[in-house]
Amino acid sequence: MSDGGAPHRFVGRRQFLQGAGAFGLLTFVPPVRLSRLMAAAPAPGAAGRFLTAHELDTLRALCKRLIPGPPDDPDPGAGEAMVAEAIDLLLGAFSLTPPLIHAGGPFSNRAGASEDDFADFVPLDSHAELGWRIRLEGSLGRPEREFAGPVVGLQQIYREGLAHLDQQARSGYGVAFADAPTQAQDALLADPNDAATQAFVPVAFANSLEAMYGPPEYGGNHGLAGWGYTRWLGDVQPRGYRDDEVTGPDPATAGGPADKALPLIPPGSLKPASRDEFWLGRQAMLRGR
Amino acid sequence: MPSAIVVGSGAGGSVAALELVRAGFDVLVLEKGRNLLPGLGGSRPVGSLFGNDEVKAGRWFENQDIVLEPRTSRTQAEAQQGVARSFIGDVNTLPTTVGGGTVHWDAKTPRFWKQDFAGRSLYGPVPGANLADWPLSYEDLEPFYDEIERRLGVQGDVGAMPAATLAQAPRRHQFVMPPNPPMYAGTLFAQGAAAAGYHAYPFPMAINSTEFDGRPRCNSCGFCSGFGCPINARGGAALNFLHPAIRAGAELRARTLAFRIDLNAKGTAARGVSYLDDRGRIHHEQADVVIVAASAIETARLLLLSATSHAAHREGLGNRSGQLGANLMFHFFTLAAASFASNVHAWRGPSSTFTLDDLVGPFRGPEARAAGMPYLKGGNCEVGAGVLLLAEAQLYASLQGLVGAPHKDAMRASGFREHLAAIQLVGEDMPQLGNRVDLDPGIRDVYGFPVPRITHSSHPFELASSDFLGPKLTAICDASPGVVASQVLPTASVGGPVGTAHIMGTARMGHDPSSSVVDPWGLIHDLDNVYLADGSVFVSAGGFNPTLTIMALSLRMARRLAG
Repeated sequence: MSDGGAPHRFVGRRQFLQGAGAFGLLTFVPPVRLSRLMAAAPAPGAAGRFLTAHELDTLRALCKRLIPGPPDDPDPGAGEAMVAEAIDLLLGAFSLTPPLIHAGGPFSNRAGASEDDFADFVPLDSHAELGWRIRLEGSLGRPEREFAGPVVGLQQIYREGLAHLDQQARSGYGVAFADAPTQAQDALLADPNDAATQAFVPVAFANSLEAMYGPPEYGGNHGLAGWGYTRWLGDVQPRGYRDDEVTGPDPATAGGPADKALPLIPPGSLKPASRDEFWLGRQAMLRGR
Repeated sequence: MPSAIVVGSGAGGSVAALELVRAGFDVLVLEKGRNLLPGLGGSRPVGSLFGNDEVKAGRWFENQDIVLEPRTSRTQAEAQQGVARSFIGDVNTLPTTVGGGTVHWDAKTPRFWKQDFAGRSLYGPVPGANLADWPLSYEDLEPFYDEIERRLGVQGDVGAMPAATLAQAPRRHQFVMPPNPPMYAGTLFAQGAAAAGYHAYPFPMAINSTEFDGRPRCNSCGFCSGFGCPINARGGAALNFLHPAIRAGAELRARTLAFRIDLNAKGTAARGVSYLDDRGRIHHEQADVVIVAASAIETARLLLLSATSHAAHREGLGNRSGQLGANLMFHFFTLAAASFASNVHAWRGPSSTFTLDDLVGPFRGPEARAAGMPYLKGGNCEVGAGVLLLAEAQLYASLQGLVGAPHKDAMRASGFREHLAAIQLVGEDMPQLGNRVDLDPGIRDVYGFPVPRITHSSHPFELASSDFLGPKLTAICDASPGVVASQVLPTASVGGPVGTAHIMGTARMGHDPSSSVVDPWGLIHDLDNVYLADGSVFVSAGGFNPTLTIMALSLRMARRLAG
């Protein structure tokens, strides 16, 4: 982690189902503007849409180590951006209609449009819904979900991963993970002999990056925390960029210092997503089209 | 009224649908994906559900969902050892939506060159490769290239094109629109290319630099290749072909999976197509003509799934030659990245606005002999692309293993997004009998059908070509103003699942039924009325983005069918 621990290895995860996970109660609500939804985001100590209050507190602590903010870092981090709350929204996506999977289009109201289309999430059809139910809930031993083998869903991955972190913290430091000192949290997360943690952290980190740096309609990037310190304008349609902002240097985003040399990129590291690493998302870069 | 079923609404299928409906055919288009372009086929301007949203693009919004429809892959060596598969997941999936890959394509539209259609005759065989000439020439395709470019709305500048390019791909007309504003990083690379003795020029692409076809000009938002266009400033199959085809009477049925082409009793012609609708119900639709344009991997899979007891079709429709599924080609991309001292915002614009053709080849000097090859070849280059914010964050995590404070430091400095720009060579790869699509014996998709299994290993030809040309890319980088470092990046194409989105071969065209699957018009040899209209029919890969050629071939086929 930040104290020079070994970088986490991003390894795949293949587990067989140990039993049916709990089904959250479906509460159908009319489409809501995310601003209203986020105003009602769970406070510390309150339960989320999927996670329990304690699980959510544990996830908050974890995300703050993955993307630190003040006082560990001068700029807002996962806590300020409400990254854990956004992950809870994803895990509980099907508690809302339409589920918060694909933001709408074509425009938010940040670059010249009057309405925030992003906030009107795109309904899933039955085909897409099945895919996301498998992704979130897992295949649960149901034949119609196990045509290509069992899948452990994100809900179970988080539930077990957070419980494991707690267990490690209690056995190592006698307190819950969320109550452990940050140095202890970092040490737990960087423990190379803890296979369960090393399998869980990449999942949480991948989802944290989406929540930190994606559009705020998904519930994260609160106050545009992920776009401010990175000098990123985010979605710019329908305004777009002026020709002179495209063709020459842009003084408005002068940027930080250049790297002296390109970091070494190890061979074989650019790989498409595996079915059991679906949480990584499509690797939408460095591929030919 | 003659009737046609078109399987797939992407580049090849939509072009055929428009041509046939205009010729008086009753046209039905079956598309596996859903429609994400509101108003398509209606009387008002077509809308878009896409946005400047990296999260949505990563969540299989338009792409085939690998949880529901995975693919499998293995190397040739693994296949010889009897390994059934070594990977399950995303093997070169394309958008599975109305409009197909062109919904989020980079829209680069180079033409193939004369030499691409006759490589075997011009430059000889390549050991271990299944190289053949195409049964048609550039001159056969030229009028259709012309027509497709005009309907798609391709921008460019003939006056800036190199003489060698125009000699290999002669043009009768100027492009219908001038080039987009040149991207800054590309302009710097173009200067580097000139210093290295090369000639970068505006990349022909199906993007509106001016209002065209009732759609606005591109405003360079930067969410381009890999993203649906929020303002429909980018042309494509859905907007330029399928939309007018529906308005002219073609019927589109989305979320339908064609799973079998049904033959007559003698096995000489198709009666129609069997498909599943969006509720899983089976339908049998009859037609006089069937056009398969599901992309090279899915087309091969459908023809394999359609095998019958007839002698000619026992191993898959029209597979008397054994070539069905074989000769799968992906292009061999070689990518060089440069780090600039200043912020060059290489992501801002339509992915890249410059190309160069100096590395197409063939190269027949000592570099080829040293590699044991008769020649080496590359292809065109996409000059000056970059990465967006979430992609940057994912790259620091997945490539460098950064997490926590070091990851945030990297984001703050933004070495990848603000300072990095790339040059990508679209390298020609060799057709091989061992690189193929078949039906996975053990993995099924959500519909219950065997998934396509891709067996693929790179040929020494493309490995040697990449080794030879990579340093030429970094030489361009190093000669560009403000570059402080450059590197050839390792490609994903070696020894594993491939993710290039250029998919060709699997049902090659030819005159001889014993060595090809379709005739020079795309008609399956042993059938009277089943045509292929996608990248499956390619005999060789060329060194150029393939979509324009797919469209030109489809138009040529459909025009003949229309009479």
